[in-house]
This record gives sequence, structure tokens and C-alpha cells, in this order.
Amino acid sequence: MEHRERVNLTASTIDHLVAVTVFLAATLLFIGLFNQTIQTAVIYQRHRAIATKASDLLDTMLLSPGIPVNWGQTDSNLTGFGLQDPEFTQYRISPYSLMRLRSSVGEPVYYNATGQYYSNVTMGDRNFMLVPYNLALDYSYVTRLLGINNTYGFQLTLTPVVSVSIQETQFANSSATFNVTAAGVGFPLSYTTISYCFLKVDSSGPDSPSYDISFGTVNADDTGSVSINIDNVAADDSYAFIAYARLSGLVGMGYHERTNDHEQYVVPFIDSFEEGRVLLAHSYNVHVDETETEATVFYTATYVLLTEDFILREMPIITEKEHVVYGYGTNQTFGNLTIPTHNPGILVIPYKTTGTNRDGVVLMPWGISSLAFPVVFGGDPQKQEWVATDIRQVIVGGIAYQAKLALWSLEGYQVNG
Amino acid sequence: MMRTIEILIVIIIITGAFIIASFYAVLPWPRQVSPVNLRRLAFTTLQVLDSNYDLSRAAFETDNYTMWGGLQVALSASLPPNVIYNLTVYEVSGGTTQLYARVVSISNAESLGAASDASSYLVASSNVTFNVTPEKIGEHGGGGTLYILNCSDANGWWITGYTAQSLAEDLYKLLSPYFTATIMVQNTTQLGQLLNGTKISNSPYESVTNAVIINTFGESVPIPQIYCQGYALQAEGYASSVSYPYTRYCYTLGNKTRYYNWTWASIVGYPLYYVSNTVVFANQNNTYGIYGMQKVYQGGINAFLQGLDRQPFAYNDGGITKSSNTQVNLLPNIIYYCNYYGIYPSSSQTSTRALSTSILSTGSNGYNLTLGLDMFSRFDSNYIPGAVYRHVFRGGTDVTGSFLALGLTRSPDIRLTALGILSYYQPRLYRSEYTTNGTSRLVVLQLGLVGGV
Repeated sequence: MEHRERVNLTASTIDHLVAVTVFLAATLLFIGLFNQTIQTAVIYQRHRAIATKASDLLDTMLLSPGIPVNWGQTDSNLTGFGLQDPEFTQYRISPYSLMRLRSSVGEPVYYNATGQYYSNVTMGDRNFMLVPYNLALDYSYVTRLLGINNTYGFQLTLTPVVSVSIQETQFANSSATFNVTAAGVGFPLSYTTISYCFLKVDSSGPDSPSYDISFGTVNADDTGSVSINIDNVAADDSYAFIAYARLSGLVGMGYHERTNDHEQYVVPFIDSFEEGRVLLAHSYNVHVDETETEATVFYTATYVLLTEDFILREMPIITEKEHVVYGYGTNQTFGNLTIPTHNPGILVIPYKTTGTNRDGVVLMPWGISSLAFPVVFGGDPQKQEWVATDIRQVIVGGIAYQAKLALWSLEGYQVNG
Repeated sequence: MMRTIEILIVIIIITGAFIIASFYAVLPWPRQVSPVNLRRLAFTTLQVLDSNYDLSRAAFETDNYTMWGGLQVALSASLPPNVIYNLTVYEVSGGTTQLYARVVSISNAESLGAASDASSYLVASSNVTFNVTPEKIGEHGGGGTLYILNCSDANGWWITGYTAQSLAEDLYKLLSPYFTATIMVQNTTQLGQLLNGTKISNSPYESVTNAVIINTFGESVPIPQIYCQGYALQAEGYASSVSYPYTRYCYTLGNKTRYYNWTWASIVGYPLYYVSNTVVFANQNNTYGIYGMQKVYQGGINAFLQGLDRQPFAYNDGGITKSSNTQVNLLPNIIYYCNYYGIYPSSSQTSTRALSTSILSTGSNGYNLTLGLDMFSRFDSNYIPGAVYRHVFRGGTDVTGSFLALGLTRSPDIRLTALGILSYYQPRLYRSEYTTNGTSRLVVLQLGLVGGV
């Protein structure tokens, strides 16, 4: 009898122990499961908050001109960030404010003669936009102006909606044929009207280097392409071909150059937005180690404006040739010029080297839309836990761009369990 | 064993609860978590398409298939490939039954998917013009003539940076639509004719009485030769017995202002401080190197007010202005008229020659003046920086001359003079009727997303 009671007591205890153990294990398991569901929901909510913030922040950037309103045309520092063109309303963006954003993708260029680093946007072979770091806005400074430092990171990208590609397809009998194709983000720009400008460098005339310029307007076919034939082009001629495509409010542009300069050319550095001052350096002083022999590049300069009817208008700046000489150490020289207007346009610098009949042409946009340069500004969205994006269609100096903002949180959270 | 079975039952119940909770607590799709703001994208796309008014033109030329083909290509080209659209143009009608009537629609998909959003954009026809017709001062009564002193034979003072002629031209542009006749007084001879009550133009609308005369010469006032020493009306322009003899001319001006019920406007500084005639005073300067001028000093305004109040001429060169600087602000009713007439000078100005409120007194020191229009906040509570003073004889009701004095610093802002005149006379603006009916169309762009989750 005593033995049976002891057995019953032991079975009851084991039953208790098993039940409690299973219960505790199940409780812990379910806490984990419910917790995971709740945390996932919280994360989703946070992601949605980031998406909302991205939309708001993009509008904040695009619908405010900043303080001072014309900061893009001055050398002054700003106290409020915004990119809207102060002369317009809604989503029209200042082409000058965009120039003052430090590029996130271009390798910075150091110029010994000024002792400064330059934000670098270089498109093609000879199209430069080099802005000194002391004038180019720093990403961290902009996050402070926007009040999101240490809470959000962003990358702002502005890309032309219309891309105009130009290829030299044929060269025969002293004439060149170019194939110009215009396309939008998701569709070719069928039957678009294309205005073009052909600048051929003249390095043999008494006023050389100068250029001959010709204009034309053609219509593309249903694929957005058209062939354009230009006469009187020799095999070793240097030229720049600039084309604008427009259709129902969409305007885009493209360019193509041919040079034979053997890496000796003029590099334009923006020195002052307020005064429109540009420094002109010898390319050896920028890109080559100090091992080259003495070299000189002669140049002239013209400013080309795009009028409202999409005709390019010339404004000569330097008509009698000047020169820059490659030098060593502090013995470097640079020229300078002043762009006399704050209407967006293209600085055209034809140049030639001494003796060898090598020449070419350098283009620099004054107002980033003049050459439809893209803009990438801000941090790197790679490896971020969640990146929300939003897009707007904007007008920059008459050219259609798509503005995209990628935004992520810096406050660090992750899914547990 | 029972407890273990009970626990297993509990586990089954909790598992069931978890499954049910998971079934109903559906988390949103990624697309819903981080959506592209289609509404904003649609709106900005419409703005881009209308940046050169191409969309507006297309909305009113729905039969132009080339234009609509271009619009469709542009729309497809500007939107990302995974975005589909439907663009519809509506006529805005004035009927009571249906406000919007569909006109035309283009789309690149049969439906807009599960999620879509839309924006609307109102475009106006290029054939619409908007007109504003001002009421003419004097249209429904006497007067209505504006004389602007543009005398070629006189010099101005305190109009630094301008000439009287350039100011006259600006005033003409600003005010001539509001008067039945606007006449430039081209020389002091014509001014003499005016003072004599003679018309100086062939305009049938010219009326010397009840006219407005604006002196664009600042602190100086042109004087006709005939009122100068040695000429026919010397007695009305020159008093040899006083320190500044041409103070007498200012008395005559006040007298004529009352007689013809003029509104005399002084645009800046101390009114009537100099008289000017470049022929008569060819060898006299105002001590600052401006020839053709004679100083009147502070007695000029006193004499003018005496003449305005038909008091006998009694030389008095005591100052009646506050000549220190302070910032004064436009009064709210004047700011209202800024908006009404679309004239926007700065609302804060610097007062340097504000007139004392003592001139409003009806006693022996006063001139029977009342404030017809007060423009600025007071300076030291007793000085009026800018106002239109109206002269009414004691016991009477008829206005017998008015005087606009803007005691502000140089250089003059001529818009303040125009604002003062308009705010005083308050001519109405008749705006052309502009309704959306037939002149506006509503463009709605609806965007949807395809593909992805």
C-alpha cells in the first residue's frame, strides 16, 4: 500500500514536470512567433514612414528655392536648401543650383595651381563641369540644412528624360553622316523635331583657333532616328555636334565630338558663379604627371545660348587667341574668362596645339541643363537595409528631367527572432 | 498525465490562435509599403507636357491628330515603362446638370491595374484675353483732368537719380487710364496759362477746374516767367519785402488751388522749397550747384496754405515739418488699395519731412484742412508723413482745393504718388467676365502600375 502511494506520487510529479516543461517551451516558442509577426509589422510601418518621408523631402527640395533664393548664381553659402528656380513656380528647377551640388560619382580633380579639389562631372571626352569644393555643397551640410542629419540618408538623382544619342556613321567624299536618335524613358521619341548645330574647328586660319558653325532642323522617323549629312568635313577635322529634340513639351539634348589633340587640350574650371569667372588650364597640368615636355595650347572662347525657339545664338567672349602653357610645380599658368550672362548656355572653347596641327573643342555647360548633364548628389544607397524612392518630372532650364530621391533611415533597426 | 494532455490542448489552442491571427493580420504588399507617388508623378508629367503650352494647345485642338500623336508619344516617352496611363480631356461646361463633359481620351492600356492614382490640370484656351477697364475719374462729374508738370525749362530737386521728365512719363503710364484727360504741362508758359484758367490742349475733355496737378519736380516748383520779378504778374509771384521774395508765388499757387478746386500733389520732401525757371534764373543756383532755381525756404508751404485758406499773405518761414528720419508704414486701407490697383511700393518708407498736425487746426493757426486720406502711420503722433489734405471752409461742406504731400526721403517712389491719388479718388476697376465655360478644359492624367508586387 505504501509502495503504491509512492508510485502514484512519482507519476504525478513526472506529469507535473513534463506539463510545466512543455508549457514553458510552448510559451517561449509562441512569444517568439508572435514577436516576429509584430516586429515585421513594425518594420513595415517604419518602411512606409520612410516612403512618406521620401515623398515629402523630394517636394521640399524641389518646391523651395532655398535661402538666399538665388544662391545658385552666387558664391555665398546658403542657410536653407532648395532647388526650385526662383524665377518660376512649381517643379521648375534652377540649372545653377544644381551646378553647386558636389557630385557623388565623378572622381574629384585636384588642380595644383589653385590648390583646390573640384567636383567633377565629365561627360564624353571633352565636356567638363568642374566646380571648386569651396563652392560645391557638401552632402552632410545639406542634410543638416534639411534637418535629417543622423536620421536619414539620401541620394538625389536628376536624369534627362529624353536622351539624344549621336553617332558618326559614315565618312566619305569630305562629308560626314550622323545618326541622331531621340528616346524617352520608356519609348522612342517618334517624329520628334531635332534642331542641331555643327561646330567645326578651324585651326589654320589667321584667327585660329576658331570655328565654323552651321545650323539645321530635321524631323525624326517613327523610331526617333534621323540621318544628317554635313558637307566639308575632312578626315582629321575636329568638331562638336549638338542636337536638341523636342516633342509636345519634352525637350532633350545630346552632343558628340571628334578631336585629334593627343591629350593636349584646355580644361575649364569654374572659379566664381557670381562673376561667371572660369579658369582655363592646360590638360597636362591636370591629368599628367610632371614628366611631359613643354607644351602650349591656344584657344578662343564663345558662349552659345539656346533661344526660346531652340535656335543657338553666339556671344563671343575671347576672339583673339590666347594660350596656356604646361608648366612645372608653381610655374603653372592659367587663363581666365568671364561669362557675361546668367542665361543658361554652353561655353565653347576651340583650341589647337603648337606646330602639330592638333586641335579640338571643349564644351562646358553654364547652367547644368545646357548640356543635359545628369546630377547625382548625396550618399550611397547600396547596402542600406531599406531604401524608399520617389520620382517627379521636372523642368531644368527648359530641358525635361526626372528627379529621383532615394531615402533610407540611419537609425538602425533590424528584424529579430 | 492529465496535465500534460491539458498543456497539449493549450498548445493546440494557442497554435490555432496564431494561425488565425496570421491569416487575418495580412501584411501589405511591398508596393503598398513604398509606393511611387503616382498622383505627384501625374501632376508633374502634366506640367512638363504643358511647359511650352503644347498640352493646352492640344486640349483645344482635339481634331489635330498630328498634335495628339505627338502628345501620346511624349507621354509614353516621359513615363517609366511599368507605368500605364489614361489621359482624358474634359470640357468645363456652365450647365447645371453636368459640369464636366468628356471630350477626348488616350490610353496605352485597357485597364489601369490594381493600383492607380490621378491628377487634374486646368488649361486655358489661348484665345482667351482678360481685360480690366478702369472707371475714369471725372466720368460722372466735373473735372477728370490730370496735369503732370513736365516743364522743360525748370529743374527739380530731391528727385535724385531721376529727372522730372522721366517721372512725368512714368506717372503718365500709371495714371492716364484713370482720367478722362491726361495732359503734360510741357513748359512754364503752359503752367502760367493754367494758373490763368486757360486750357492748354485741344482735348474736349480738358477741364481746368477740379483737376489734379502733380508736381514732378520734387521740392522745387516751376514758376512761369510772367510771375517773376520785372514781369507782368510780379505782384503775384514776388514780394521784395520778405527774406525769400518768391514765397509770394507759393501763396498764389495755394490761392489758385482753392479757386479751381485743384488737387495739388507734392511727390517728395519739403513742399515748395524752391522755385525754378531756367531762363529767368539762369545765373542763380540753389547753393548746391543747380542753376535755374531760387530758394523759397520753409515759408513756401506756409504761404501755399495761406492762399489755400484765403488768408492774407503774411510771410512766415517757421518750419512745420518733422525733419528727422524715421520708418513709417502704409496703413491697412492703403495696402488694400495696393492690391486693388496692383501697385506695390514698399510698405515701409522713411519719413523726413512729415507735416505737423497743427495745420489741421481750425483755430487761428490752422488752415481749415481735414484729412481726406491718411497714408502712413504717424511720426511722433503729431506728424503726418503722407496724406491728402482737403480744404473746407468753416461752416461749409464744399471741398475747395486739396493737397497731397508725401514728406518722404529722396529718391521719390512715384508709385506712392499714384497710389495716393487713386486711393483718394477710388476709381473702380471693371474686370472682364472670365468664366471657365468654353475657355478652360480639365485634363486628367490617371497612372497605374503594372508588374511586380
